Amino acid sequence: MNSFYLLLILLIYLGFLFLIAHWAEKKANSKWTNNAYIYSLSLAVYCTAWTYYGSIGVAANSGLGYLPIYIGPIIIIPAWIIILKKIIRISRANKISSIADFISLRYGNSRFLGAIVTVVCLTGILPYIALQLKAISETFHLVTKTTTSSLIFNDTTTYVAVALALFSSYYGTRYVDASEKRKGIVTAVAIESILKLVFFIIVGVYVTFFVFDGFDDIYKQASLLENFRKKNSIGGLEQGLNWFFLSMLSLFAIFLLPRQFQMAVVENNRERHIKTAIWLFPLYLLLFNIFVYPIAWGGNVLFKGFAANADTYSLLIPQHFGNTFLTILVFLGGFSAAISMIVVSSISLSIMLSNNLLIPYTFLGKLRSEEQFINNKKIVNIRKFGIFLLIISAYFIYRFFALDYSLVSIGLISFVIIAQLAPSFFGAIFWRRGSRLGAIYSILIGFFICIYTLVIPYTIGISNQESVFITDGLFQIKLLKPFQLFGLDYLQPVPHALFWSLLFNSLAYFSISVSFKGNYRERNYAEMYVDIDKYSNKHENAFVWKGTAYTTDIEKVLVRFLGIERTKRALNIFNVKYNVDKDQELADARLVKFAENLLTGHIGTASARILISSVVKEEKVTLPEVLKILEESKENIIINKKLIETSKELQVITAKLQKANEKLVLKDQQKDEFLDTVTHELRTPITAIRAASEILHDDSEIPEDLKKQFLQNIISESDRLNRLIDKILDLEKFETGKQTINPQKNNLINTIENAIEPLNQLLKNKNIKIVLESERTLFAFYEDDRIIQVITNLVSNAIKFCPEIEGIITIQVQQKDNFISTTIIDNGKGIHPNDFEIIFDKFYQASNQNFKKPVGSGLGLAICKQIIEHHKGKIWVNPSPKGASLTFTLPINNTI
Amino acid sequence: MKKRHQQKLAVLALLLLVALNIPIVLLFDNSDNFLGLPVIYVYVFSVWLFSIIISFIIVQRYYE
Amino acid sequence: MNMKKILIVDDEPNIVMTLEYTFKKSNFEVFIARDGHEALEIIKNSVPDMIILDIMMPNVDGFATLEQIRKDKNLEHTKVMFLSAKNKASDIEKGLALGADAYMTKPFSIKKVVEQVHFLLQIS
Repeated sequence: MNSFYLLLILLIYLGFLFLIAHWAEKKANSKWTNNAYIYSLSLAVYCTAWTYYGSIGVAANSGLGYLPIYIGPIIIIPAWIIILKKIIRISRANKISSIADFISLRYGNSRFLGAIVTVVCLTGILPYIALQLKAISETFHLVTKTTTSSLIFNDTTTYVAVALALFSSYYGTRYVDASEKRKGIVTAVAIESILKLVFFIIVGVYVTFFVFDGFDDIYKQASLLENFRKKNSIGGLEQGLNWFFLSMLSLFAIFLLPRQFQMAVVENNRERHIKTAIWLFPLYLLLFNIFVYPIAWGGNVLFKGFAANADTYSLLIPQHFGNTFLTILVFLGGFSAAISMIVVSSISLSIMLSNNLLIPYTFLGKLRSEEQFINNKKIVNIRKFGIFLLIISAYFIYRFFALDYSLVSIGLISFVIIAQLAPSFFGAIFWRRGSRLGAIYSILIGFFICIYTLVIPYTIGISNQESVFITDGLFQIKLLKPFQLFGLDYLQPVPHALFWSLLFNSLAYFSISVSFKGNYRERNYAEMYVDIDKYSNKHENAFVWKGTAYTTDIEKVLVRFLGIERTKRALNIFNVKYNVDKDQELADARLVKFAENLLTGHIGTASARILISSVVKEEKVTLPEVLKILEESKENIIINKKLIETSKELQVITAKLQKANEKLVLKDQQKDEFLDTVTHELRTPITAIRAASEILHDDSEIPEDLKKQFLQNIISESDRLNRLIDKILDLEKFETGKQTINPQKNNLINTIENAIEPLNQLLKNKNIKIVLESERTLFAFYEDDRIIQVITNLVSNAIKFCPEIEGIITIQVQQKDNFISTTIIDNGKGIHPNDFEIIFDKFYQASNQNFKKPVGSGLGLAICKQIIEHHKGKIWVNPSPKGASLTFTLPINNTI
Repeated sequence: MKKRHQQKLAVLALLLLVALNIPIVLLFDNSDNFLGLPVIYVYVFSVWLFSIIISFIIVQRYYE
Repeated sequence: MNMKKILIVDDEPNIVMTLEYTFKKSNFEVFIARDGHEALEIIKNSVPDMIILDIMMPNVDGFATLEQIRKDKNLEHTKVMFLSAKNKASDIEKGLALGADAYMTKPFSIKKVVEQVHFLLQIS
């Protein structure tokens, strides 16, 4: 393959990527670019040339050691639903644009801490970028069958590096606000992820099913090679430990690598996307890894005896069979893997460089006094410059440091360095007491141990047996041997370094954090981070700040970076959100935090804080005060929620209460009316008794028969009074449920006849005919006396209302289902339909209540109703054309 | 997503931690042929695939 | 004949009996009605000097009856007294407002009723 042609292909490919990025930027919010699949695939930037080539090298030469790099992510990704969600929420609330920002903000917005983290990342990632360039270069020369040129200008990698720098700086720094989403880059990376996977699978399928006859065939042939068994098993407990440490390493890496943080957190659009990433990303990794084994061992079989570089088996095999097209595809796949790593890493590193190193320590002074336009331009330029600087530095590392090491080992060292951020990072989101001092010391100590156990020995040369340092330790102290620190000799260099560095790192972090109290600012952020879920929307509320600040001063600072338009708009949003008067002169804590947030995207959290603090006067707040305020605001939020729930409940209850009250008022009225009527009724017989008694007392000449008459009056009126009182008490007992009845099976016809008998005289006197119609002897379940009372009352009423001549009362008794119904009909003036219900009320008297004397006491029907209902029967009025018709029912059997 | 469903995923992570590390993983640690692959590969990939499927099911069912 | 005529309107026969006996002994000519309707009928035939009026009666009650009475020019000089168990202030006010000359409550003292009637008719 001619170099020129390959270069052309590369350029076309790069052009294709530029196009994608461009298109994606335009369609920033469409479902094509703003979806969960693009997000999940962009996370696959985790798989670099290391995965593409290095894994095969490891699988072919030493065994399963390439797998733990994926085991870590596989283990922890399900828990992303909790952990990553939290990180994303915190980052969104504070407009965080890099991992350095994330950590430094948490520990009190510390400029120094941000700088340290940046340095750690640079140290870890630059060599890694260099390795990608090396991979590109070597594979390029492999495909074109040329040798690496020592001249810079003849080295294609030079041009590739330049092209990448241009691409990254253009699409990576479009917005001066670093927390703006870079849709172009993300989409391009996602497309690259698809391509590199597809190409890899293609070559995998090719090797497995075309070069060989399936997995079985490879197995049969490979198992004949020496060390096949050993290389395809983990080994013993020691190997198992190595496996464990390496998986922990990759577990940290998936969170801490700047490119992963960038893609997973900073570029995340919707929390919802996590839902897809949780299964899609592991699936991607699985598909990628399935064909590593067959390619590795297929290559081992094919190239047995030749000193072939196992890393490049994926290229060598198709090339061996003259399949140029496939070779180029594989090359492009590896190329994609490498450049997506380079682009994303350089962007994230340059943001850290500008926001956490350059601006806070050097340029801030200048920016403070310049106009917005100039400021923004300066910031963007700093970043662009940063990207170039980084890529070119990586290039020089690749060129001039004799990198004899495989992709894998440098990659792992890079992971270990980054892993030093782990205690501070995870402590940031889970432990309130984690303090700034703890973080600083932990990172420094861990970093130092890394250098000692990995960087220095590797720089000297791992194969350099002459190094006294390696073989005998520093100052020839055996316990300080870099690969067997303190005598731990059964771990490989990388897990070994990881163990010691993290051990001392974590110890420092925890012990310093619990020994020295942080300042109130740290504690404030600690609460905000750990309890982010409680603050959600109004997170500015969680910021505790005391002091004097003027809105206009803050405005001025904002204008320098956002411009007048955006500043006005932002302040408007703030005023609406927190219901603040726009003419408010004094700024409160929320506005201070809000303003810091606005600036964070441009210049980083540390610089934003420095700028804002320069225009406001802060008062010292003690730590207990901060904690108290935060507790209160948390309580407030909980109380608020409870209040809303309670007020809803209250509304329901109030409505119910109102109804009940209305009923009570009505009952009260009815009671008053009842009392009125009762007293009136009772007074009438008393009047007769009194008057007659007075006459008998005063008049001694009264004739004997009149005397007897009056005495008789007294007796009968006393009886009447008594009966009345009885009825009232009866009714009261029924109504308050104190009345008991003793029902039994009785013959209803008998009962009716017994009730009518005492009335016979009265019926005769009034010329009323009474007729009893019934089928046969009917039994029902009731208390005899009570039903006699009912029938007596109903028949008496009928008698009262019957006409003077030809009055007829009909009593009909029938069985209906489980009840016996008795109907009493008279041919009197009848009952008005309006009154059907209310005649059963106490003291009911027809419509004009006050103006007609009730016929009877008015209690009879009320008592009848009570009696019947206590028997589980019903009583009602039947509509009838002439006269009144009332029916009551009684159960046949015991239903009580 | 409700907390208890999130915790299902957290438990899955714990299970994976145990299943894919010593001592459990060593139980499957040999290179005998199983469907053309060494047993250890089959074990790891199966657990891997299993976790993908479970995650998918949980997330599909419970994420509102 | 100088006998005064008194009309007793009440539907409780036992009470009416005591009043009738008392006023007959006091040399009154006693007429009896059981409700307002009957009362107005009796008045048509002969104008009484005094009417004792109950309120709670069937058909036409005491208040309505008084209204009718006060419309009648012939009864200008007739004294009317309510005699009722309704003893609320509002009832008494209403009764007097409708034109009653007196209002007594039940239960009553026979002696006091006689006194009141004598007073109204200015008999010593």
